[in-house]
Amino acid sequence: MLELRNVSKRFAGIAAVDDVSFSVRPGEVAGYLGPNGSGKSTTMKMITGLIEMSEGEISFQGEPIQDDLMAYKRRMGYVPEEPYLYNHLSGIEYLTMVAQLRNLPERQSSACIDGLLQLFSLHDDRHLSISGYSKGMRQKVLIIAALMHNPELILLDEPFSGLDVASALVLRSLIQELAARGKVVLFSSHELDTVERVCSHVVILHRGKLVADDSIASLRSLMELPNLEAIFSQLAVEQDSDSMARQIADLIHA
Amino acid sequence: MHKLLALLLAHVPSDFRILFRQFLLRVVDFDALSIQADVAGYLGQFAGVLMMFSLIHVPFILSVFGMAPWYVEHYLIATMMLVAGLIAVITWDAIFPDLRDVMVLSPLPIAPHTILLAKVTSSSALMGLAILALNFASSLMLSAFAGAMPGNHWGFLQALAAYWFTMAAASGFLYCSILTVQGFSALLLPRRIFLRLSAILQLAAFGIFLGVYFLEPSIETPAGLAAHHNQWLLACSPDFWFFALFNQLNGSLPSTLTWLAWRAWIGLGIVLSGSAASLILCYLRTMKKIVEEPDLVPGSGRIHWTPRFGNALQTALTLFSARSLWRSRQHRVAFAFFLAVVFAIALSWLRGELSGATRGSMPDGFILSTFIMMSVAVFALRSVFSLPISLTANWVLRTTQLSPSEKYIAVTRTILLCFSVVPVWLVSAFLSLAFRPWHQVTAHLAVLALLGWILAEINLIGFYKVPFTCSYLPGKSNIQFIFWGFVIFIITVALPAAEFELGSFNGPFRYVCMMVVLSGAAIWLWAFNRRRASAAILYFEELPTELITTLKLVSY
Repeated sequence: MLELRNVSKRFAGIAAVDDVSFSVRPGEVAGYLGPNGSGKSTTMKMITGLIEMSEGEISFQGEPIQDDLMAYKRRMGYVPEEPYLYNHLSGIEYLTMVAQLRNLPERQSSACIDGLLQLFSLHDDRHLSISGYSKGMRQKVLIIAALMHNPELILLDEPFSGLDVASALVLRSLIQELAARGKVVLFSSHELDTVERVCSHVVILHRGKLVADDSIASLRSLMELPNLEAIFSQLAVEQDSDSMARQIADLIHA
Repeated sequence: MHKLLALLLAHVPSDFRILFRQFLLRVVDFDALSIQADVAGYLGQFAGVLMMFSLIHVPFILSVFGMAPWYVEHYLIATMMLVAGLIAVITWDAIFPDLRDVMVLSPLPIAPHTILLAKVTSSSALMGLAILALNFASSLMLSAFAGAMPGNHWGFLQALAAYWFTMAAASGFLYCSILTVQGFSALLLPRRIFLRLSAILQLAAFGIFLGVYFLEPSIETPAGLAAHHNQWLLACSPDFWFFALFNQLNGSLPSTLTWLAWRAWIGLGIVLSGSAASLILCYLRTMKKIVEEPDLVPGSGRIHWTPRFGNALQTALTLFSARSLWRSRQHRVAFAFFLAVVFAIALSWLRGELSGATRGSMPDGFILSTFIMMSVAVFALRSVFSLPISLTANWVLRTTQLSPSEKYIAVTRTILLCFSVVPVWLVSAFLSLAFRPWHQVTAHLAVLALLGWILAEINLIGFYKVPFTCSYLPGKSNIQFIFWGFVIFIITVALPAAEFELGSFNGPFRYVCMMVVLSGAAIWLWAFNRRRASAAILYFEELPTELITTLKLVSY
């Protein structure tokens, strides 16, 4: 189980994440939602160990992650928000490097990488430089790199970004399949429709603070709202979107 | 520098001004710099090195001009052409539009000729700064000597004008030659092939500039220039054309060499029109081509062999470093610059060996050369390691760090040894084959191996990072300091060390003592680095040293 207890992160005294606590159990897909700048990616980076938290504790399977960060990293797969990759490497070179850095057995990892490249329709382009990959292709490389070592904890920060419809559908099913096999999945996205279909429960963040942590069905009945979009709008959107659109149009027109 | 730029640019159109500033500073890759880096200061340091060279030229002119005036004139022109050539290589492709320019600027209401003008002006400004910095002192000194002709009261001013015009023309000639070749290659070849060829052309140009500078024979005497067998060399060497041009403008050119000056005028005319035509055509035609064709270097054929270097971590980091060094333009050029110095020294010895001049016992000059080669190679690779390749992608190294930092640092040591010490040692061993007796050769190679190891360990002190992954903070590595430190090292340490080593060949006890000291130093440094590495944390962001130490009472 992934557990965050009273986690905070301050940058120059300003709280980006403020006293956030939630947990995700094995077999569960948790949707992590919030408007831009709400602290979602900061939380993700703290969970990956990329940045240190100012306060609180993050634990996985009962052990604080900082106690043995290397052992924790072995069990974690992470797809970051932006598809930042080493552009001078080819797709296969990048994935092989990640496999080697993870110290995966060569034969097993090369078979796994080859199979995943085939399934993600990247096999024909595997020897091309990543600098020439489209955003979707880069996203697929990131997903393969995050999953090839069969992690117990999967952190997905906007994983559908740039993917075509067919790949997005595959990924959606894959997330559910991985959860069914007992993985812990934390999934951050702005696509509420996908979150509603994939996630068993949602965590909503607003201005760094936790505003909801429950199952979607429970939130629906509790707030008497028809869908996740309406719930999210009520909890995390401060301004009426139609009025805001009118203001923008007026400003451009002026 | 910022104030001067602002003053100069105040009266030009704003779109041109903004583009000019952007392109001028693009010679430094901002993606590679630390967020706290001072780019203007960084460029200023390079200008400072060139200015110091100009000052060094003053005593050189004072002492040599009286005996060999043409040698001095030719040397200054050839050096300026080398610097111009190196700038052209370092700013390779900078004047032509790339995918980033096209995607960002094409949708904006900016005429292509404004972009072209901004690029040409920014590149010219950079070249102009280099010309000024390298010649500000030497121009005055040389003009004072070259212009001192009886009966000519305006001799100094005439020589000064001739000097500056020649330097500008020689630099422009080289720069425009590169532009012409690049421009027509971009026009005639499919973009994918052009991108691949461009990298090869860049390295070839680099090798040619340095090779010519270091290996060209010295013939700057009236007899040498008049000799029949040297005429082909004069006809093919642009540095001699511009040497003749300077003397023509100064009124000191013998009539037998007028044809050389004409070569300079004709060559200048050809490359100026060639580069102008290729640039205009590029901006009219290539910008569309860049959008239509992907900015992608094709895969390297069908053979994809991945060698192994020890365990998985060693293989991953070694291959990553090798690929970064080979595929990144910036890193390739930076390392090639230092390697070219190494190979220029090696070639000059090889030339002597081929002519039979170096047969016999090992001279101290050779020992010194191998010391310099080793030092340059190790310090160069260490410097190139500090330039990152893609900072935003470093998250993957951080999330996959499953081994202690000391293992990463150990791999960095292996890479430093494999890519700098071993190649230089092999080249030195090959060159040593010319000398006898064999025990001297073996003894020197053993010393050189230990020296390489010591230098590698010195360079690893405090270097707790994976090569090419940490942001670069130019101010921290003070180029002036490093450059002059290196010069002092050569003069005060390497010269006497070479003499000492040569003397130890005749005294076994002295040699054994020297080896014991060197081995002890190497092992001590290795143990010191290993001990510190066990407590080190890998870092990916270079930060300036804090002038005020914070008590860190506030939690961030």
